[in-house]
Amino acid sequence: MTFQEVWDPWLIGPFLWFAGIAGMGSVAYTLMKLFKVEEKLKELALIAFASTVLGLLFVVADLSRPFNMPFAILSSLAQGIFLAKLAQSWMTVGITLLFLLLLFTLLLLLRHTVAGGLAKLTDARWFLVLLALIGLLVTIYSGFLISSAPGIPFWNTGLIPVLWVISASICAVAILKILVHSEAVAHLLTRTGLGLDVSELIALLAFVLTPLYSGPEAARESAWVLVFGGLAPAFWLGVVVIGALVPLVLGFLLLKKEDRRLGVAAALCGLLGALILRILVIHAGVFEVLHL
Amino acid sequence: MRLAHLWNQATCIGCGACIAACNAANYKSTDRPNPTWRGLQTNIKRIVFDRELKPHTLLVQCQHCENAPCVAVCPTGASYIDRDGLVKIKPELCIGCKYCMTACPYGMRWLDPVTGLPNKCMGEECQDRIKHGLQPVCVTVCPAGARAFGDLDDPNSEVNRRLRGARVIRLLEHKGTRPKYFVVVGR
Repeated sequence: MTFQEVWDPWLIGPFLWFAGIAGMGSVAYTLMKLFKVEEKLKELALIAFASTVLGLLFVVADLSRPFNMPFAILSSLAQGIFLAKLAQSWMTVGITLLFLLLLFTLLLLLRHTVAGGLAKLTDARWFLVLLALIGLLVTIYSGFLISSAPGIPFWNTGLIPVLWVISASICAVAILKILVHSEAVAHLLTRTGLGLDVSELIALLAFVLTPLYSGPEAARESAWVLVFGGLAPAFWLGVVVIGALVPLVLGFLLLKKEDRRLGVAAALCGLLGALILRILVIHAGVFEVLHL
Repeated sequence: MRLAHLWNQATCIGCGACIAACNAANYKSTDRPNPTWRGLQTNIKRIVFDRELKPHTLLVQCQHCENAPCVAVCPTGASYIDRDGLVKIKPELCIGCKYCMTACPYGMRWLDPVTGLPNKCMGEECQDRIKHGLQPVCVTVCPAGARAFGDLDDPNSEVNRRLRGARVIRLLEHKGTRPKYFVVVGR
């Protein structure tokens, strides 16, 4: 069995992670604004912008022709191909969404730092709703990007976008948990996090067990290597235990009494698990087996 | 026009002349390694598999699918289907995202370590030969006559002539790609 080496898991994995943090972080910003929770918004804006930039850096680092990218995109736009491709290619959709998210999060950051005058624009309801929508779409698109690559059967499942949204939501909750000190908000985050952890566990099991028993040959190999093979220690320890079970157990403890240190520990575990999940999913891809 | 390849597995002697000729014509006989497939820089991949304890060889290359996933996923239109039905690349539009490589169910693209392009059949030299009414090099050099190339829309083309009455397989047809690479497995 040979793993796919087309997309570097150490570059595309972190890209997907940062895209998720930026995307659902933007959704979280909107929710906090709409529900009048004004604590640590500046820090959240900074994280959303920095994650977008870092995500873009990682994905560009994986391009084999990065210096041709600006000309190619502009040329494709000028010929009208890029717009037509929006209906066909998740990559085209992604480039557009990431550009919009970069713009929106930059405006947020400027509003909280050097250009307070932008508040009229960035605090407007329509801006916040649009920001949340773009953030959610960035998270979802990054799932469809993977699942719509027919060469790697393990990825061809609608569960990836679902898993990505759940996992990125866990990241957003984790970041808020680290940032916000208000006990009432922390308690709400604990309860939300618990629901997300349970959902992630179910989605994770469905994601690996379905191809393991009924998928095409290449998908079965990918699932096998995650569940029993060479990637199993990283999957079970990194994704299931650290990424889901530890935050789940800590979450139940926090339900009884909020404890900042435990909350931060659960948050860090959730963030780490989400990163390992993305790296492993990319790593475990195996191409279709050809024979007569 | 729908240009297509045919490879007769039953008459192929596995000499590898097509692979060497592709390397010579399209990649100037370079001995630099192919980082994606290993081995030579060529657009034809040799796959050896076992069936009923016997080794079988399968020579595969771009299937020039009529419903090509690599074309669909390309974000800038760098991969496209030309009027002759062949899947081609416009290097000036390629950003090197490699989505076409993960989208190809046949794994028939390989990354050129110098240009960063996701190379595939046909190479530049073969495209030039076809423009001038010649056959691709792999077809020309085959000593066993196991290869053919021609227009599926022309009933008198060599491909159509050989397809008549032959037992033919198209790889991964269930993927819905409508490949135009025909593997003849007998009569």
